[in-house]
Amino acid sequence: MADRLANGLKERRNELGLTQAELAERVAVTRKTVNTIENGVFTPSATLAIKLAQALGLSVEQLFWIER
Amino acid sequence: MSGKSDAERAEALSRRRARVLPFLAILFLLQQTTYFTGGGAGDRTVDHVHIAAWLVLSIVLLLALATGGGWIYPRAVRDLANDEATRAHRDDAFRVAFLVSMAGCVLLYLVSFYEPVTGRDALHLTMTSGIAAALLRFGFLERRALRDG
Repeated sequence: MADRLANGLKERRNELGLTQAELAERVAVTRKTVNTIENGVFTPSATLAIKLAQALGLSVEQLFWIER
Repeated sequence: MSGKSDAERAEALSRRRARVLPFLAILFLLQQTTYFTGGGAGDRTVDHVHIAAWLVLSIVLLLALATGGGWIYPRAVRDLANDEATRAHRDDAFRVAFLVSMAGCVLLYLVSFYEPVTGRDALHLTMTSGIAAALLRFGFLERRALRDG
């Protein structure tokens, strides 16, 4: 079975009271991209993962983990 | 000015593109029925105009796919509308288009053993199937990504 990159993006975003559009604007992508990452449809690049983690005040390891 | 931010304009561009591209793919495919049923492969002036129109449309669609379209928008909006997920969708659309085009080539090669196929017809079919497949796949991926917002 292939490993899957899971994330706590939605939970953390909700904790901070951010909309998808607001988070997207902070990391210079569209809301669509944030939506696909939250739904596990799209795996972001390392660059975008770091930007997202910084925008949400977490480390990359706290925001993303491998689900087996 | 519209008063909208670049992010809002990029979102609108993405939505419009996701709606329009599959529709264009269907129109593009429907246009081919007249080529093959109406003697589009002939050598009359009207046939040349017809083929030229198809070629121009093919080039425009290819450019729209390759660049993301939205040429009237500022660079910042276009860059945002062609962000990481969009580029991944485009790469996947081109992958599917390549496979569909190759399958078309294999099919045409087999058909050529039984029925003569002109170079123009073969190119026409290969390009049409590839471009339409890319448009449909890109549109599908973009629409899926825009859902559940």
